Amino acid sequence: MKFEDTSQNLRARLRFIQVLVVLMLALLGVRLYVLQVVRGERYAEIAENQRRRRLPIAAPRGVIFDREGRPIVDSRPIYNVIMSREDVKDLHSLIDPLAEGLQIDKEILRERFDLVSSMPAFESIQVKQDATQDDIAWVEAHTLEFPELRVEQQPQRRYPADGMLAHVLGYVGEISPEQLKQPALREKGLKPGDIIGQSGIEQIYDDYLRGRDGYREVVVDSRGRIQDEIETVAPIPGRDLVTTIDLDLQTAAEEQLRTSVTQRGVIIAMNPNNGEVLALASFPNFDPNLFSQRITTKEGKAEYVALLNDPETPLLNRAVQSRYPPGSTWKIPMSVAGLEQGAITIDHSNLVCGGGITIGNKFTRCMGNHGSPDIKTAITRSCDGYYYRLGLKMGISGIMKMVDEFDLNKRTGIDLPNEVISWTPSPDFKRRMQPRDPEWRDIDTVYSSFGQVYDVVTPISLLRTINAVATGGHLYIPHLLKEVRPIGTPGTADFKPMVGFQPLDPAKPNPKEIGIPEDIHHTVVEGMWGVVNNGGTGASIRMAGFDIAGKTGTAQVVGLGKDTGKNKDHSWFVTYAPAYQPEISMVALIENSGFGSLHAAPAIRRIYDVYYRKTRHTEPPGAVQIAQK
Amino acid sequence: MVAIIHKRSWRDFDWVLALMAIGIVGFGTVQIHYAQPTQSYWIKQLIGLSIGLVAMLAIAFTDYRRLLNLAPFFYVFGLVLLVVVLVPGVGTRVNGQQAWIKVPGIGQFQPSEFVKVTTAMLLARYFGKNRAQALTVKEMIVGGLILACPIALILLEPDVGSVLTYMPILAVVLFLSAIRIRLVVATALLAVIMIPLTYWVGVKTNLVKRYQQERINVIYDPENADRKGIGYHTWQSILTVGEGGLFGSRSSAEHSQSSLKFLPEPHTDFIYAVTAETTGFVGCVMVLLAYIVLLSRLITGARRSSDRMGMLVIMAVVGGLTFQIFINIGMALGISPVIGVPLPLMSAGLASLIATFIAIGFAISVQLRRFVN
Repeated sequence: MKFEDTSQNLRARLRFIQVLVVLMLALLGVRLYVLQVVRGERYAEIAENQRRRRLPIAAPRGVIFDREGRPIVDSRPIYNVIMSREDVKDLHSLIDPLAEGLQIDKEILRERFDLVSSMPAFESIQVKQDATQDDIAWVEAHTLEFPELRVEQQPQRRYPADGMLAHVLGYVGEISPEQLKQPALREKGLKPGDIIGQSGIEQIYDDYLRGRDGYREVVVDSRGRIQDEIETVAPIPGRDLVTTIDLDLQTAAEEQLRTSVTQRGVIIAMNPNNGEVLALASFPNFDPNLFSQRITTKEGKAEYVALLNDPETPLLNRAVQSRYPPGSTWKIPMSVAGLEQGAITIDHSNLVCGGGITIGNKFTRCMGNHGSPDIKTAITRSCDGYYYRLGLKMGISGIMKMVDEFDLNKRTGIDLPNEVISWTPSPDFKRRMQPRDPEWRDIDTVYSSFGQVYDVVTPISLLRTINAVATGGHLYIPHLLKEVRPIGTPGTADFKPMVGFQPLDPAKPNPKEIGIPEDIHHTVVEGMWGVVNNGGTGASIRMAGFDIAGKTGTAQVVGLGKDTGKNKDHSWFVTYAPAYQPEISMVALIENSGFGSLHAAPAIRRIYDVYYRKTRHTEPPGAVQIAQK
Repeated sequence: MVAIIHKRSWRDFDWVLALMAIGIVGFGTVQIHYAQPTQSYWIKQLIGLSIGLVAMLAIAFTDYRRLLNLAPFFYVFGLVLLVVVLVPGVGTRVNGQQAWIKVPGIGQFQPSEFVKVTTAMLLARYFGKNRAQALTVKEMIVGGLILACPIALILLEPDVGSVLTYMPILAVVLFLSAIRIRLVVATALLAVIMIPLTYWVGVKTNLVKRYQQERINVIYDPENADRKGIGYHTWQSILTVGEGGLFGSRSSAEHSQSSLKFLPEPHTDFIYAVTAETTGFVGCVMVLLAYIVLLSRLITGARRSSDRMGMLVIMAVVGGLTFQIFINIGMALGISPVIGVPLPLMSAGLASLIATFIAIGFAISVQLRRFVN
């Protein structure tokens, strides 16, 4: 460098720049080493994950049939608008445009997005269910603005109209955040957004009905648009389920409740020989389609709130979730137990009616004056006075023994969720119920012996008791599952054989055998036969040639004298037929309608008519007369 | 006589420098094609290369002193271009920056890339006189003014990224023009103290906006920064680079970060990330080495220059290139903020490519004339 002069250190300065250049690029090299060699594997995985996406393919849920193979519940394909959350930066900024474009209520959408934001696993969010042609067109027209939206065909559960079988079937719904926290459900691999059975047999047999979702593994670009498909795993459909329900009987039962005075009550029909439930109706009912189809709309939410607040509790399955005093129907197990325990004998069963009984200074009356009837007459005429005295002879310990014998203090084990346990008399129960007067007295034993005060039972447990009397001591577990149909090709690995009903509690015997001695059984049945066929309280429903055994009952709602209007007594009828070769047993309860013989018994008769036509293939005797009444 | 000069010219011609530059462009063109297989950017890049080579040869065989004597003219011409680009209708707006002029047949070009060369020329000319004493304050002010004019115009576009690449040109020229060492040390110290301090005060007084802070945070901690918002570019670039691993990504071209559009601007700002994805650590280091060789050849050329002016013009180019390479690659590696600075010789873009070749042409011209006089 000819121009160089020593004072400037030019050579040194140039070298300095050269060193600086090399250092800067070397620094980049070090950073490269960190990113590519040290962390390369991890970044590659993250990059791979962000372009790969699993889109679930919903498994079709199993169909539910009645016992004759008639479909009750199935699924139909609908279009849903789905959003991939991964691609969305700010969920809430989408509320306004989506609400407007897809006609969704803003509040509903906001609630949904809030919920989703708290759950990281929520990959695919259902934005709108059952999208219309307009909605689909809107999504397609806005793929540039909202590439995260897609339309998918998914199955939607469809329940019968009029809420038929609502309480039995239950309904499906999206798994809730609370449910997702339950270890039992998590272990099944359920994830947010999954549709599961939330009530009824949909809930109990969810594992069979649900199937397993498949998925499409796709490659998406940065805006979530699908570019390539890597693999498809087909869903495994849910298994079909055959119930024990007979749609003809069910329809008849619901018809009776719908046309009853108060339109509130329960009717259950069963086969006492195996515990199969042929019909189970609880009124008022609800439309399960609300939960599977409309719950995500504003109207649907309002409908749900109205159901929850309805004083007539339509969501409640009265057959298994409500307790009523059994009234005089209680006399049936009392009769069996009284004879078994030796409080009375078949030969010497007469007890005084006396028009009632005085305990201390308190008189409890009988509805009539029956002299000194034997047990058969006492059943047929429903003599309260007789049972006051029988109860006192058995004592509270005898009544408790009876309760235990007939499993009245346990759940029946029916395959429905949230069954409640009946309340049955015991000094313990009184202590809890009346802490101010905790001592058990004779009057309490009297109350306990005719089906009031301390006796508050579920209709299903009462019917099970009647079944035991009908069959001479077989206490079968009531159930709704006839079979889960086999799936797959026999001989292959994915074949699953037919499954029958298994008690939900494997320790529970099915049946429980209490072995009522033949003579006792015969005597009580004769009394029950007389109720309908020998001028008893149910005489109005007699069918010549078809021996109906039964017992009326009236459940006190309030004290005597106030039992009018809304506070009228509940009307009971328990029955089975034919008396000496039982095929079918039933219980009917019409809330607040008055005497059992007036309302519950005629309702039962209509169902017997249907049953008679079905099994005897001829008109039931006297059917027309009854219909005209 | 002409023939003799020519013979000597061909012998003294810096083949390593020219071939290295051509090699980088060729390699870069392959990456551009990979990044945008359906677009014609790679063809344009090859056209740019041809134009650049012609320009380089033309300048190489012209006496740089004659060109530098015309530096004020070029400089003013450059300023005119910067004004023209601001005229509505003439300049094209891209991403909110009015920095491009549409040229029929070639496409768009960015005058600020050329003006870098004309500014370097004028600086070299002004500071290129033989000097016996240290830099005066007056000289520093004039140097600052030479830089200030184009910067002011570019800020109107506004293109802050481009402005930043002008700074090292003046810095290098001042440094090599006998600026007092204590001034350099003082400036360096002041920068080390003042930059974090100003940032801190800015954050405290809210003068540095939230989103601007976010950009800085992204550099410190890209994984926890707003990966979908302000940190998106950096995070995706880091992923792309990381995915390359040692020898390049194993996933197919259709599923690459750039073809699925996760990596933004893959053919321009983030061409180095694309290179990292396709060729891995090995390829990336080769590119870094190629740049080191190229820059070293330039510095060697500067050292051999027969006069101060030649030395300065080459070193101004070195300063500009080094800074751009560092910022651009640093951006791809997540250690410098995302500002639109192209990677010299690799990013798709005619202006940057041709301007770089013109600069290399100057360097060769200086070298060819090191024995004259």
